[in-house]
Amino acid sequence: MKERDGLRLARRLALAPYGLWSLLFIVVPLGFVAYYAFTDNDFAFTTANIARFFTATSESDGVVTHTYLLIFWRSLKLAVISTLLCLLMGYPIAFILSRASARTQKILITLIMIPMWMNFLIRTYAWMTILQDTGILNSLLRALHLRPVHIIGTETAVIIGMVYDYFPYMILPIYSVMAKMDLKLEEAARDLGCDSFGVLRRVIFPLSLPGVISGITMVLIPSISTFYISQKLGNGKFYLIGDAIEGQYVANNLHFAAAIAFILMVILLIGMALMQRYANSRAAA
Amino acid sequence: MRKIIELKNVSKSFDGQKVLDNVSLDIYDNEFLTLLGPSGCGKTTTLRIIAGFETPDAGSLFFLGEDIASLPPHRRSVNTVFQRYALFPHLNVFENIAFPLRVKKLPQDEIREKVSEMLRLVALTGFERRSVSSLSGGQQQRVAIARALVSRPKVLLLDEPLAALDLKLRKDMQQELKAIQKATGVTFVFVTHDQEEALSMSDTVVVMSEGKIQQIGTPIDIYNEPRNAFVADFIGESNILSGVMLRDRLVRFSGRDFDCVDFGFDPNEPVDVVVRPEDVDIVPAESGQLRGTVTSVTFLGVYYEIIVDIDGFKWMIQTTDFVDVDEHIGLKIDPDAIHIMDKSEYSGMFGDYSSFSEEYDELSQAESGAEA
Amino acid sequence: MKPAAKVYTALIMLFLFAPIAILLVFSFNSAKSLSVMQGFSLYWYRELFRDAETLSTVRNTLILALAASAVSTVMGTAAAVGIFRLRSRALRAACDTVTNIPMINPDIITGISLMLMFVFVGRLFGAATSLNFWTMLIAHITFCLPYVILQVLPKLQQMDSSLPEAAMDLGCTPFRAFLKVEIPEIMPGIVTGAIMAFTLSLDDFVISYFTAGNGFQTLPIRIYNMTKKTVTPKMYALSTIIFFTILALLIMTNLIDTGPGVERRSRRTDDGAAAPAPEAPSGQRSRGHIAALIGAVLAVFIIGIIIVGRPKKPVLNVYNWGEYISDGSEDSFDAIQGFEDWYLENYGHEVELNYTTFASNEDMYAKISSGAVSYDVIVPSDYMVARMRSEGLLLPLDYENIPNAANIGESFRGLYYDPDDAYSVPYTFNFTGIIYDANQVDEADTGDWELLWNPKYRGRLLQFNNSRDAFGTAQFRLGLDVNSEDPASWRAALDALKQQQPLIKSYVMDEVYNMMESGEAAACVYYAGDYFIMADAQAPGVDLRFYAPEPTNYFVDAFCIPTCCQNKELAEAFINYMLEYEPAVANAEYICYGCPNRLVYEDETYADDMGEDAMAILYPGLDAFHERYEQTAFRNLPPDVLNMINSLWEELKIN
Repeated sequence: MKERDGLRLARRLALAPYGLWSLLFIVVPLGFVAYYAFTDNDFAFTTANIARFFTATSESDGVVTHTYLLIFWRSLKLAVISTLLCLLMGYPIAFILSRASARTQKILITLIMIPMWMNFLIRTYAWMTILQDTGILNSLLRALHLRPVHIIGTETAVIIGMVYDYFPYMILPIYSVMAKMDLKLEEAARDLGCDSFGVLRRVIFPLSLPGVISGITMVLIPSISTFYISQKLGNGKFYLIGDAIEGQYVANNLHFAAAIAFILMVILLIGMALMQRYANSRAAA
Repeated sequence: MRKIIELKNVSKSFDGQKVLDNVSLDIYDNEFLTLLGPSGCGKTTTLRIIAGFETPDAGSLFFLGEDIASLPPHRRSVNTVFQRYALFPHLNVFENIAFPLRVKKLPQDEIREKVSEMLRLVALTGFERRSVSSLSGGQQQRVAIARALVSRPKVLLLDEPLAALDLKLRKDMQQELKAIQKATGVTFVFVTHDQEEALSMSDTVVVMSEGKIQQIGTPIDIYNEPRNAFVADFIGESNILSGVMLRDRLVRFSGRDFDCVDFGFDPNEPVDVVVRPEDVDIVPAESGQLRGTVTSVTFLGVYYEIIVDIDGFKWMIQTTDFVDVDEHIGLKIDPDAIHIMDKSEYSGMFGDYSSFSEEYDELSQAESGAEA
Repeated sequence: MKPAAKVYTALIMLFLFAPIAILLVFSFNSAKSLSVMQGFSLYWYRELFRDAETLSTVRNTLILALAASAVSTVMGTAAAVGIFRLRSRALRAACDTVTNIPMINPDIITGISLMLMFVFVGRLFGAATSLNFWTMLIAHITFCLPYVILQVLPKLQQMDSSLPEAAMDLGCTPFRAFLKVEIPEIMPGIVTGAIMAFTLSLDDFVISYFTAGNGFQTLPIRIYNMTKKTVTPKMYALSTIIFFTILALLIMTNLIDTGPGVERRSRRTDDGAAAPAPEAPSGQRSRGHIAALIGAVLAVFIIGIIIVGRPKKPVLNVYNWGEYISDGSEDSFDAIQGFEDWYLENYGHEVELNYTTFASNEDMYAKISSGAVSYDVIVPSDYMVARMRSEGLLLPLDYENIPNAANIGESFRGLYYDPDDAYSVPYTFNFTGIIYDANQVDEADTGDWELLWNPKYRGRLLQFNNSRDAFGTAQFRLGLDVNSEDPASWRAALDALKQQQPLIKSYVMDEVYNMMESGEAAACVYYAGDYFIMADAQAPGVDLRFYAPEPTNYFVDAFCIPTCCQNKELAEAFINYMLEYEPAVANAEYICYGCPNRLVYEDETYADDMGEDAMAILYPGLDAFHERYEQTAFRNLPPDVLNMINSLWEELKIN
C-alpha cells in the first residue's frame, strides 16, 4: 500500500504550497482588513470607523451631503459607465476578431495586448498630452477649423482613461469564448429561421455570456477602485473611493482606510455574487 | 496451462455505488480472454484493477502467485491499449512506440530495432516520422497496440479497442488482433460489449452484469448453455419462457408439455426455458406444437425475422421461409433446441419480444458504446 | 472581413495606439516638455542611459516580474494539478473561492490587506523593516497565482485522462508520467499563465505602492513619486524602448512558432523514405524544451536572489523626494556616484548608496512611522521634522561627523522646528509664489493672492492638489494664521477655496509643468524654484513670469536621521558630503530651490549659472529670512486638527 499512498500524498503535496500560501497571503490579510476596520489606534474594538463612512457629512451652499456615500456613488457611476462603454466597444471587436482568419486573429490580439505592456502610469500621462485644452486633440480640431473641446478635468476624461486602461480586459474574455463557439450553431439558428439579429440575440449573446460576465468583472473592479486616473485626468477634481482610501493611508489613518476598504470589499463581493447568480440562472434557463 | 492472473473476491465501489461485487477470475497463459457485458457491468473496472489504475476495496489480485494489489501501474508487466488509444500527441509514431523503452533507458540501437520489429508486426513500417494526429483510426489503433507490446508484457489489456472503428475495419482488426495474439503468445484480456466480437475472437468469454460474473466459458458453451436469462438474452437472441420441469427430460411451458434433453431438476421445479430463434421450425398451424399469429416480418438478407404472438407472448423466429403478417402458423421445437436454466434474479426480465424494435436495439448499443 | 468591420477595427486600433504614438513622438522632444514638441533629438535617450537610478528601477521591476512569474507559474501549475485531482466537492469549492478572491478584489484592497498584515507581523516580531523586496515578491506572487491556475486548469480538463495512465502503464512512475506526458500536454496553458503573470507583475503599480519597502523600488513607483517635480520625456524614451523590445520579441516568437511547422510539413513529404533512423527524436527535443524552460526560470530566480541579496558592501538607504538630487541627468554632476567615490577615497572602503524616492511628506511619514521600512537618511519638510522629532522618530546628529555643517548660513540656524539644530541640517529652502503667463494675464491683476480668485481667469487657474498648501493660499489671502488650531478659521479658508473652485481648471502637482509650459493655464501657485524649470521649457507664445505675494509660505527641507537608521555614521558621512562645495552647488542648480549653504549662495559661478533674476527671486534678502520664515512656515498641528483638515479637504474635493 505504501507506494500508492505515496502517490496520493504527492497529489496532495502539489496543492499544499498553494493552500498554505493562499491561507497566509489571501485569507489572513483580509482578516487584517476587518481587524483594522473594527479597531481604533490602540487596537480596541470600535465601530466608529464603519459608522464614519456612513454618517460623515459635509455642507456646501447649505446642502448637506454624506461625504463617503457620495464618493462611493460617484466612483460607482464612473466605473459603471466605463464598463458599459468597454462592453459596447469591445463586444463587436471581439466578435469581428473571432470570425477573422487565424492569421488576422493572431495579429489583432497581439496588437490589443501591446498597450498592456506599456506602463499604466505612462499611458495615462500620454492621455493628458492628448486631451489637454492645448493638447493634440484640440490642435487637430483647430487645424480642421473645428471648435476645440474641453475634456481634461471632466468626467469624460476620467472615463476615457478608465476605458482605455481596462479595454483589453473586456475584449479578451469575450473573444476567447466566441472563438470556441461552434460555427454550426449559427448555421443551425439561421436554418431554423433566425435573421442576423436573431442569431445574435438568441444564440451568440447567450453563449458568450460567461465571457461578458468575466469581462465586466475585470473592468468594473479596477475602475471602481482606481486613484491614479482620477488624479491625473480628472485634474484632481474627481475624488473617488480609491483616492479616499489612498488619502487616508497617506494621512496615516490606517484604521479608517481599512474600514473604507472593508466596506468596498463587502459591497463588491455581494455584487459579484448576485451577478454570478444571475448568470447561472440565465445559463440554466 | 499456467495461471497468470488471479482475482479473488474483488469488490470495488465508487461514491457508495458497488461496481464490482465479489468477483473471482483466473486468467491463464497464452489465452484470449474477453470480458463481455453491457455498460456499467464492471468490465472496465476489472481491467483497470488488473492494470493498476484502481485499487480493490476488498479481495486480492495475484500475478504469477504474487499479490500485486498495491503495486503501482508502472511496476506491473501488464500493458493497456486504451479505448481512445491515448497516443501522446506531442510525440511522433516512432517516439510513441519507443516511449516505454526510453523510460527503461535502453540503448538507442536496441530501441530502433525493437520499434522496427513492432512496426513490422502491425504493418506500419515507414510511418516512423508521422505525427500521430495525421493517422487514421485504424493506424492509430495499431500504434497503440505496438506501443503496448513493445516491452513484451505478460498480459495485454484491451479496453474496447475497436469501438471507435467502422464495421468493416472492425472485422479486419478482429482478425489482425487474433493473429497478433497468436504470433506473440501474449495473454490478451479484451473488454467489449459486442457479443459477436467476443464470440468470434475469444478462447474464454466472461459475461458480466451488475458487477458480478454471470458465466465463464468457451464461446460455444456460453452460447449453447447459458447459465441464466441474462446470459441467454445478452448472447444472441433468445425466447425465454417461464416453465416447470415436470420430471427429467419433460418440461411444461406455454401451456404444453415438451420433450427436452435436460435432467437433474427437482420434480415440478420452476425453471426458465430458452429457445433460440433459429431453432424453431415453422409448420402449418394444425401440425404445430404451438400456434400463433404473425405480427411482423423483417427481411434481413439471409433470413426473415418474424414475430409471432402466441397467447400474448411474442416469439422471435428466424427462418428462410416466407410468411405474411396476420398469417396463422404453427411452431415446432425439437427436444435438443430446448435449453433449461435455473430461475435467477433475471427471470422474467428478458426474452419476450413484445416491445422489440430495431431502433431500440441500436439505441442501447450506441449508449453502451459511448459509455463503457 | 466586411468593410464595416475593417473600419471599426481600424478605429479601435487608433484608440488603442494614439497614446502610444504620442509617447513615441514626445520621446524625441528636444525640450523637457510632454506637451510642447520643440524639435527632434535623441537627448532623452542619452539621459535615460545615464540615469543609473531609473535603470536600476527597471532592473528591479524585471527581477520582480521574473521572480514572481517563475514562482507563481511553478506553484500555480502544481496547485492546478492538485485541484484537478481533488475528489471532494467541498474542498474544490473552497479552492475555487480562494482562487477567485484576488481576481474580484480590487488591487487597492489586496495591497492594503497585505500591507496591514506585513506591518502588524513585523511589529510583532520587532523586525527593523517589515516591508522589503520579499514582501513585494510575496504580494506579486499572490496576485499572479490565480491567473496561472485559471490558465492551466482548463488544459488539464481538456486532456484525455488516459494519457497519464498510458504513460504509467508503459512503465513511468507517476512523477515521470507527469513530466513526460502531462506537462507537454498542458504546456500551452503554463506558458500563457507565465506570460500573464509576468505582464501583470510588470504593470502593477497599486499593490507595489502599498507593499514596497526598503530600497527596492520598481519603475511604476518611481514614476509615481516624480509628482512633486516633473515626469520627463526620459520616461517616454524608456517606454519607447520597451515598446520596440516587445515588438521585436513578438515578431521573433512568431518566427519561431512558424519555424518547426515548416519543418514538419517538409518532413511529411519524405514519409516512407527508406531508413527509419531518427537522429534527434522529437521526444528528446521537447524534453529538452521543458528542461531549458525550467532551467531558465530557476537561473533567473537564483540570479535575482543574488542581485537582491548581495551582502558585500555596506548600504546606505536614502529616502528623498522624487527628482530632488543632482543625479547626473541632463549633464549634471552625479551626486550619488560622487558620494560613493568620495567615501571610498576618504574612508578607504566601498559603500553603496541606495536612493529611493517618495511623493509627499505624508507618504514618507506613513512608511517610516509604520515601522515597515528602514532608511538611514530622510529629507522631510520643516513641519514634518517637528512632528517626527516630537514623536521620537529622529536621532540626534553627531556634528563631529558632519564638520561641513559649519557651511550652513547663520540665517538658517535655530529655526522653529529644531531650535538647537540637534536633529536636522537644512538642505533646501523655498517659498510658494505665483507663476503666470504674461500673454494671458494683465500685469495690473498681478502682485497678490487675488489673482487666484479673479473671475476674469475662470477655468484657467491652477491650485495645489495638496491640502496644506492649498489651504495656505486661502489663509494668506484672508490674513488668517496658517497654523491656527481653531476650526472656524479653517472653515473660513475652506469657504474661500469653495468660492474659488469654479475658477479652478485643475488641482495639480507635477501636472503644473505641462499646463503652464503649454499655455493651457493662465496662472498657478507653485514653488518659486520650479518657475525656472517651466520658463526654460515654455512653448512659443507663452511668456511665464513670477511674483511672490505677501505674505507667503516659506519652507525648509532638511536632512534627518530616523530612528530606524541602520548605520548612523554612514548616514552622517552622507550628510557631510552633501554639504561639500561640488555636490551642494550641483544640487542647488539641479533643483533650482534656494540653498542654505554659504559655499553655494556666496559662490559667483553659481550666481552666474543661475542668472541675476533667479538670484533675486531665490535669495530676496537673507537677513530677513529668519523672521519671514518664522512668521509664515507651516507648523506641526495636533492630530485632531490634521484630521479636521483632511475632512475639510475631502469636502472640497467631492464638490
